[in-house]
Amino acid sequence: MTATTHEIEKMDTSPVSQATVKEGNGRTIIPDVDIIEKADHYILIADMPGADEKTLDITVEKDLLTIRGRMLITIPENHRALKSEFRSGNYQRAFRIYEEIDRDGIKATFHNGVLKLTIPKSENARIKKIAIESA
Amino acid sequence: MSIKDLIPSRFGRKEVPVRRIDDPFRSIFADFDRMFDRFFSDFAVEPLSTIRGFSPRIDLVEKDDRYVLTAELPGLDEKEVEVTLNDNLLTIRGEKKEEREDSSGSYYYAERRYGSFERTVPLPAEVDADKVKAHFKKGLLTVELPKSEKVLKESRKIKISSE
Repeated sequence: MTATTHEIEKMDTSPVSQATVKEGNGRTIIPDVDIIEKADHYILIADMPGADEKTLDITVEKDLLTIRGRMLITIPENHRALKSEFRSGNYQRAFRIYEEIDRDGIKATFHNGVLKLTIPKSENARIKKIAIESA
Repeated sequence: MSIKDLIPSRFGRKEVPVRRIDDPFRSIFADFDRMFDRFFSDFAVEPLSTIRGFSPRIDLVEKDDRYVLTAELPGLDEKEVEVTLNDNLLTIRGEKKEEREDSSGSYYYAERRYGSFERTVPLPAEVDADKVKAHFKKGLLTVELPKSEKVLKESRKIKISSE
């Protein structure tokens, strides 16, 4: 628990994440991700609890893939925080992709606070199996 | 890893589209936001035994008449979460499962945590167990816990006498 909270604090002050923050209003939360390579595509899964579907934004610009989303929690007035391990803010994370992908074929789903992207490899990047002809 | 690998391209270095699986810091998916973070965490390598399973982060706020607990439970649905109240101890239980069809393949990032969890939060004052409401939306669990009549009466008394 402490480790996770600490990590977020650190990311906010690092020069890299500050430079990537473009929107104001609230903190930037870097979502935890899994990226798995399959034979002909990649799967990117990001935990973005509380993010609102309407605010989800996935862009591919040249080789930079960016995912964004806003957590919408209404903070009640006249309250006292007893435990505060997470805060609302904007999810944002960017990846450079060093392999050719099929930009138009990216599919995204969002379910129970989890964003899942299916990123097809381009034809060139797929591993081709070469059939061995018997002599 | 050389120090140059840590400098993002927008500082002027040209990116070379090379696939280097052996180097986790510069794989196909280079992480923009965590580059510096990883650089620093290099010095503090966590022993295997401390690798965390999943445990939800929670917020607990107190209002005049109630407590509100919010827990981050991405990837779970309401049927997989159990909320119990016992003597002012609120417990959240569940299991975050990995989808099997997704898990086979080679991982470039594996930051998400899985596993069963149980968190118990003591509430500072008595709540009315019959009026507790829980709902689940977009991976966030919210539990509303109204304070008991007795507690509300006592706090009202204090307010009057202090005027």
